[in-house]
Amino acid sequence: MKIFSISVLQAPSSGASSLLSNANDLSSFSFYQRGSVGEFMTFFSKTVAERTQAGQRQSVQENNYTAHVFNRGGPEQLAAVIITDQEYPVRPAFSLLAKVLDDFVAKVPQDSWNNPSSISFPELAAYITKYQDPRQADTIMRVQQELDETKIVLHKTIESVLQRGERLDTLVDRSNHLSAQSKMFYKTAKKQNSCCVVM
Amino acid sequence: MPPPIQDRTNEFRSCVDSIRSRSSLTRGGADSKQRLLRNAKTTAKTEFASMASAIGKDINGTNIKLGKLAQLAKRKTLFDDRPVEISELTFIIKQDIANFNKQIASLQSYVKQRSAQGSKSPEAKQLEEHNNNVVMLLQSMLANTSMTFKDVLELRTQNMKESRNRTEQFMYSTSTATAQAAASSSMLYNSRPDPMGDGSPSRYDSKGKGRAPQNGDVLALDLDSAEAGIPGTQNGGAFQQMQLVEQQDSYIQSRSTAIESIETTIAELGQIFTQLATMVAEQRETVQRIDADTMDIASNVSGAQRELLKYYASISSNRWLMLKVFGVLIVFFLVFILVS
Repeated sequence: MKIFSISVLQAPSSGASSLLSNANDLSSFSFYQRGSVGEFMTFFSKTVAERTQAGQRQSVQENNYTAHVFNRGGPEQLAAVIITDQEYPVRPAFSLLAKVLDDFVAKVPQDSWNNPSSISFPELAAYITKYQDPRQADTIMRVQQELDETKIVLHKTIESVLQRGERLDTLVDRSNHLSAQSKMFYKTAKKQNSCCVVM
Repeated sequence: MPPPIQDRTNEFRSCVDSIRSRSSLTRGGADSKQRLLRNAKTTAKTEFASMASAIGKDINGTNIKLGKLAQLAKRKTLFDDRPVEISELTFIIKQDIANFNKQIASLQSYVKQRSAQGSKSPEAKQLEEHNNNVVMLLQSMLANTSMTFKDVLELRTQNMKESRNRTEQFMYSTSTATAQAAASSSMLYNSRPDPMGDGSPSRYDSKGKGRAPQNGDVLALDLDSAEAGIPGTQNGGAFQQMQLVEQQDSYIQSRSTAIESIETTIAELGQIFTQLATMVAEQRETVQRIDADTMDIASNVSGAQRELLKYYASISSNRWLMLKVFGVLIVFFLVFILVS
């Protein structure tokens, strides 16, 4: 379950898209392959972003790579692409894309978009590392996970309460028995005192 | 799936050749020129035979692929669908059928050409008739393949519709239903006069047997036009629009399902807590009983101890009683001695 790259592009509805910011995590490839794989990622992102209409989300599969595209359109005509392997869950990928786009729009001023090399958006790299495990990073998934853990703890609690009930039952029986015996003891002791007046 | 057709025209032809050569030998005169002519004819025949046999073999292979596609299309599972494979197979089979079309057409023109130039001798006529028969056989094989292909495509669309209905049932989205209806009415019922997707009209007007495949192409998925805007998710043209609209909603739907599942989990947790509280409340009564019992035990035991203390006190203090006891004992002792 890996993310290979996240990119933010400007994708006008006609014509070519331009890459505004990009972060790659190619650590799973051998050192000599990384260059070509990086180029492939860029090309893939660009192609897929160009072919997605504004306001549309799409997932494209190619060999073992899946690209999730979110073309936000709007006045800025931005699109974000994330390339992952096939196991990565789809929905958190799209929510990550929306988040990335919002951050980008908030952080990077619009006039620097014509000059892609001047854009510095280090949050992309942070996002890649953070979202390598989507179960922890994505909010909804984390909440679900915590709830499941709580449920497990509660199940254990209920089991121990059941055991407590059993123990309490045995305690009741024993205390009943003990009470009867002590009563007998008291009566015998009393009898000792009153009966043999002769002696 | 019809059993694979064995193309034994080659053997037949070789038999015919051998018999003919035998009869020509008995007729007398292995004229070398005649022999050469015959050899030329046999080479010409074998050329035709090789072409026809190649076509027959390819049709066989395509039938096998079609069988696999039918197998895949029959699967009614909801989630294990393999659209990529199915669309790839469909594409390949379409291309093969188009190829066969062209090949058979060229074969036929070749036959016509040969019959036009050939001599009108009875054996040439027989040969021509034989060639025509072979071509007809190949055309009928191709027609069968196309019919089966059409059936498989129909089955596939039906299954996809059913699976879509089932997913709708689980997901309650009316928007997809309306979009689906619009898309299907636009694409599926559009009778497309473009057979085989290669832009050429049907090629076997000659024998009339070729009419059958043309109906099948109402459902033939025209890949080129549908491929224009949308890369890779599915290559089925009829399902392209449905797929698009689905993708739009699917993200939102998946989010809402995730949040609903969180909601149900929280509700379950609430239930578990109430169960826990009930169980503990039930046990409260038991605890009270135990409490009461222990109090009883304590009081009983203390009372018994009191009595025993009294008894001990009375025993240890009463010397006068002891004297009385010993006196009675001595009296009995004396009585027994006196008696004995």
